[in-house]
Amino acid sequence: MSSISTINLKELFLNGIIKENTIFKLALSLCPSIAVTNNLKNGIFMGLAVLFVQTMVNITISLMRKVIQPKVRLPIFMLVISGWVTITQMLMAAFVPDVYAKVGLYIALIVAFASILARAEMFASKNSFIPSMVDGLGMGVGFLFALTVISFFRELVGKGTLTVPTGLSTQHVFTFINTKPVLLMVLPAGGFLAVGILMALFNWIDIRYLKKGAVSH
Amino acid sequence: MTGKDIFKITVNLVIVYLIGGFILAFVYANASPKIFRNNEEAEKKALKELMPAADDVAKMGDWTIHDKHAKYFIAKKGGETIGYVIQSFGKGYSSYINTFIAVDKDFKVQKINILAHGETPGLGDEIETDVFKDQFKGKDIDHLKVLKTETTEYIQALSGATISTRAVSEDAVKNGVAFLIKTIREGGNKDVQHQHN
Repeated sequence: MSSISTINLKELFLNGIIKENTIFKLALSLCPSIAVTNNLKNGIFMGLAVLFVQTMVNITISLMRKVIQPKVRLPIFMLVISGWVTITQMLMAAFVPDVYAKVGLYIALIVAFASILARAEMFASKNSFIPSMVDGLGMGVGFLFALTVISFFRELVGKGTLTVPTGLSTQHVFTFINTKPVLLMVLPAGGFLAVGILMALFNWIDIRYLKKGAVSH
Repeated sequence: MTGKDIFKITVNLVIVYLIGGFILAFVYANASPKIFRNNEEAEKKALKELMPAADDVAKMGDWTIHDKHAKYFIAKKGGETIGYVIQSFGKGYSSYINTFIAVDKDFKVQKINILAHGETPGLGDEIETDVFKDQFKGKDIDHLKVLKTETTEYIQALSGATISTRAVSEDAVKNGVAFLIKTIREGGNKDVQHQHN
């Protein structure tokens, strides 16, 4: 990895979306991702929740990095992650209860996300405020992108519908297929199939069109 | 590792956790009264939706089903009892289904609402749909049987989710209504007993 001063912020942001996409490239946090991606709305809300927590955790860890003893960094990372998750949950339940009723379930799941701990350990604990924030944003957007694609695919094939959030607590269900859809796709086993198929597709596009002969990482 | 290192690490961890604890306590202290009020309002709103005709829905007591605590309520309009609302649980395929049931004073189901469940997405979660819930309107306790064939007299099973359907109809709703009938009758309301067929 290049030194902090030469890190290009735009490249850093795109890194989380393409080169080190949490799901399609690093294959992290697959379990919660498969659990919630049975409809498009769930995928989008989960992605947004992760984007927020990932960014806040990265910022906090980078600000704290000089006062953390390396030997106890993991319990401290866990405190920061669960702390942010809990604070977000409490504030949402207090001030936007309608929204909380819909997305509260997803936020609690984030404590168990390997991807957030991984970025705290690999990036935020070694870099300053701005790059850490950009890295968090990039990783979060990459995750949101992946979940959106997976849930779009799974709901369309598995139920023949698309549940589009029209507001924070409202949604609209579009029906596309009226014949019997492939129910397997919305069941847990179908989640693995969907992730596998999309991972292959994503990597094929990446190798074929995006890398253009660049050295593989 | 020297003793000094161990001391430094311990102090570091203790300080960070104490600060974290204080921040969480501060946020909790400020948010919890609001959360409590929000929950109360949400419950009131849910009761109001179940009993739109009532101008007052008051808690009557608690009961237990599947070792879970649930509540029941009396609905009044202009001081007169028009029905009851009871919370109940049904043992589904992969979860206990938290259900609210509104009945009129003849204990005929008026409306049901599924508050929480963990049934299979795409199959069991169809219990949340209006098409399924509307089947319960007007049913008394003898017509909560689940049939796999087309029926309007009884409850028609969701295809691929018979267990979830049974859990709602023959477990949550039936037990809830049975409890209400037993409890309210024991309260000595003879009229109710005669009206019920």
